[in-house]
Amino acid sequence: MLNFILRRLAISSVLIFIISIISFLMIILAPGGPNPWGELNPKITPQVKEMFRKKFHLDRPIHEQYFLNMRDLFTGRLKSIKDERPVISRILERLPATLTLNLYAISISLIFGLLWGVWAARHAGTTADMLSSMGAFALIALPGFWVAYLILIGLVNFAGVPVLGTQSYGIEFPSFANLWLDRLWHVVLPGTILALGGIAVQSRYIRATVLEAMNEDYIRTARAKGLPEETVFYKHALRNAVRPLITGIGSLLPALIGGSLIIETIFAYPGMGRLGYEAVLERDYPTLVALNFVVAALILLGNLIADVLYAVVDPRVRLE
Amino acid sequence: MIKFFVYGLPALFLALIVASFLNVVLLTTTKKNEFSIGMLGEPSTLNPIKAAESAAGQVTGSIFNGLLKYDENIEITTDLAESYVLTQTTTVFFENENTALTALLRLEASRSRWPGWQLSSVRLEGSALLIKLKQPGIDASQEIVGMFDGKVPSQVVRVETKEPPGVALEKIRASIGGGKIVRVWVEGANAFEVTVLGAEEDAKTKIAGFFPKELEAKITIFETLPFLAEPEVLFRLRQNVLWHDGEPFTSRDPAFTFRALMDESVASPRKPDFDTILFVETPSPFEFRVVYRRPYSPALSSWMMSILPAHLLEGKPQEWWVENFDRKPIGTGPFKFAEWKTNEFVRLDRNPIYFNGPGPWLDGIVYRILGDQLALRLAFETHQVDFWGVDPWAVSGFAKDKRFELFSMPGNSYSYIGWNLRRPPFDDERVRIALAHAINIPEMVQYILYGHGTQSTGVFTPQMWFFNPDVKPFIYDKDKARSLLAEAGWVPGPDGILAKDGKRFSFKLITNNGNEIRRDIATLVQDNLRQIGIEVKIEMYEWAVFLRNFINKGEFDAMVLGWALGPDYDQYQIWHSSQANPEQLNVVSYKNPKVDRLLEQIRQEYQRTKIISMAGEMQETIYRQQPYLFLYVPESTSVVWKDSFRIRRPVDGGWVDTPIEMTKAGWSYYSDWFYRPEFASKLPPLKEPSTP
Repeated sequence: MLNFILRRLAISSVLIFIISIISFLMIILAPGGPNPWGELNPKITPQVKEMFRKKFHLDRPIHEQYFLNMRDLFTGRLKSIKDERPVISRILERLPATLTLNLYAISISLIFGLLWGVWAARHAGTTADMLSSMGAFALIALPGFWVAYLILIGLVNFAGVPVLGTQSYGIEFPSFANLWLDRLWHVVLPGTILALGGIAVQSRYIRATVLEAMNEDYIRTARAKGLPEETVFYKHALRNAVRPLITGIGSLLPALIGGSLIIETIFAYPGMGRLGYEAVLERDYPTLVALNFVVAALILLGNLIADVLYAVVDPRVRLE
Repeated sequence: MIKFFVYGLPALFLALIVASFLNVVLLTTTKKNEFSIGMLGEPSTLNPIKAAESAAGQVTGSIFNGLLKYDENIEITTDLAESYVLTQTTTVFFENENTALTALLRLEASRSRWPGWQLSSVRLEGSALLIKLKQPGIDASQEIVGMFDGKVPSQVVRVETKEPPGVALEKIRASIGGGKIVRVWVEGANAFEVTVLGAEEDAKTKIAGFFPKELEAKITIFETLPFLAEPEVLFRLRQNVLWHDGEPFTSRDPAFTFRALMDESVASPRKPDFDTILFVETPSPFEFRVVYRRPYSPALSSWMMSILPAHLLEGKPQEWWVENFDRKPIGTGPFKFAEWKTNEFVRLDRNPIYFNGPGPWLDGIVYRILGDQLALRLAFETHQVDFWGVDPWAVSGFAKDKRFELFSMPGNSYSYIGWNLRRPPFDDERVRIALAHAINIPEMVQYILYGHGTQSTGVFTPQMWFFNPDVKPFIYDKDKARSLLAEAGWVPGPDGILAKDGKRFSFKLITNNGNEIRRDIATLVQDNLRQIGIEVKIEMYEWAVFLRNFINKGEFDAMVLGWALGPDYDQYQIWHSSQANPEQLNVVSYKNPKVDRLLEQIRQEYQRTKIISMAGEMQETIYRQQPYLFLYVPESTSVVWKDSFRIRRPVDGGWVDTPIEMTKAGWSYYSDWFYRPEFASKLPPLKEPSTP
């Protein structure tokens, strides 16, 4: 096991190195460049532009820039072009918001996915099940940003409730509980939309594995023993069918990080995804380099954890 | 157990979701006494000398003050300064003391003309004559100097070095006044200008003598001046101003701000605004004197630049600024910095020691960072921000609704189609004028801006005091366009497209994608021109590609773009013939000696009436030649919930109380004096202004 983990870590670090080169090239070769004052600004002389380029090493050849960026990243000195603050602190200050959102999204993906999957498996083959399958595929297929906009506009027009940011502003809350419920609402809304696809995907996995388990010999044995159907289903079938939930965490992570880029931006939610989106628009290379690195590391780590967990819960899997 | 996971947890989560939803729906709350403003972008810094984007400018405008500011009619008035005086010293150098004396006597003899020249005094200093004028500018000086004989011109020598010049510069500085060197101005670590008396070649050799061979100095004559005209401003500062931390504001602060702006390690994007300054000094704690190297009238407005606190920042390295000041600034303004949560909001609190007190009335301002137009609108509709800059298509919907109030004003920007004057057929003025008649601009305003805009008549916009209202727009007239084109030799060919010498009138119109309005403009132009037999092919490129591959290189037939203008009249970079190289802003390559002369003169002119007439002439001349097809000036509209604010502001020793009113500078010009009607009891009692 330890051997496996070490080997995976070694492979991952090579992978991360390759990812960092490719992503750096993609960032730096994209047309345009950092330009905080707007491209056609008569007030900005070539001297000012030169001064700016020098300050952020933009006048160096690409390989030198890559090297400088990486060196500064690992020594913690990498600074954003936008506000000259260390990118590490820019990312860290947004981490809690993103973690809250993603933890919520992962939780409800698993929880509601399980509920839906179980329900669908119990009603397998009925018209209701067919409709729910269609619903699930629709949710997987619908683009998140589109659903988000529909829900946003609907909520504002019909309920008139605040929908953006991390809490309502400009008002005094009558009590602490109201404030916290208000904050919860501002996580629930983007988090639920972010999780819609995940819920649907999880429900499909659960449904499939439960139905598979129901055809196993040990289920027939259990039934033959005369156990009540309730026990057969929950104790015997479901226990063996929840494995995808665990791997699900590993596979949900990349999708959620990708999704939160869009959802956070739409909901004006102050997380890492929005940071990344804005950094792309501003061509803030150092921030992008660091974010890519962090995200790549998170995803590789997520996959590793999922693999290990899988081995832990399923004795048939051996990690060599 | 497992049943709890399957049914219990979802029920729990559902309960939480419903509770949080009911909370936001049913919550009845009281509004805070604050002004909430939605912003599209996050400020990069709240240090005004580093920030270039409008988001930062909006916030720092409430925290800091400049020496000057714009009043409600977008004209210059005082802010931290109590008053200011503009003067000029014109220095003429002579061959020797005798010729200088002769000149002085000649000037004394014509004393009757002194008032006309605004001449206040004259002084002899060795072989130089120092003439003091009450009004800066170049005309009077030229007239005066024209009377003298035996003058010596001065050469402005520009020196660029690979390494900081160090000792050489020190030696040059040391020799000022003694010999031929009159002044030095340092642009940056590797560039400076020395003004030397005498002929061009002498000046060059003289300067080269200061440099050891290994320094590789590039020495060029920048310009030759018949005399030195050095305008100066003397600001008298307010004495009752305190920084937010309680320290008094003195002349040390603007002097420090100037040095910080020029410091290359700050890399301020505002540095070019201050490059015409020779030096600043502080004759007393409440006097601040600025001397310029040459007359440049828009330079005065650069003192609207926010002033930084010297007592906090002086001598501190850049890293210290970034950590301790740039994100929690100390200013002198009506509001002081309170909190900045990245990507969420910047909150400012009322400054109780504001020099222009007893206001502001509001407890604070919150700038919410929301990202896009839709987010701003949603935030506005749910009372999260107090106003929204409405898109043109949505204006009529809000206008009908009684719950809102709308404020509209023409923006200081215009859209245009730029013809590449380097390429036929656009090098032919008749063709360009024909095109101006062929495009239906009123229809464009109707369909693209839903009527919220006016036809542009040139390089300035109607809000500005130097705008020329007498320039009449070209009228849409297809027949006239056809006959003008026929005059220029363009007649319908076999396929219905106009042709001349076998060449069809067909061109590419390019613009950037992602901007729907520009795409629509291009489409309407294509349709309008097809009707008179011109073929237009539209191509759209990503913004960076559009600029780099086409605009900056001058590689296009025609393009759709717009200018957002500053509040001054200097458009040298956009229209002067010297600015038509790649990467420069005269992208259509417009060259007209008359306009060149006007552009050069207007930036040296300080007299209002002359500025108005020059700007008017420039606007008329350029518009008649149609290097651009000037399209329209869009109107910008803000929507506010009705009765959310009123204004109580001081007028002539009393208070006037009014609803929000529109000024040339926008509806929120008086925002320091805004209050929410629910909090009216906190305000001073209303006293009628004493009418003089």
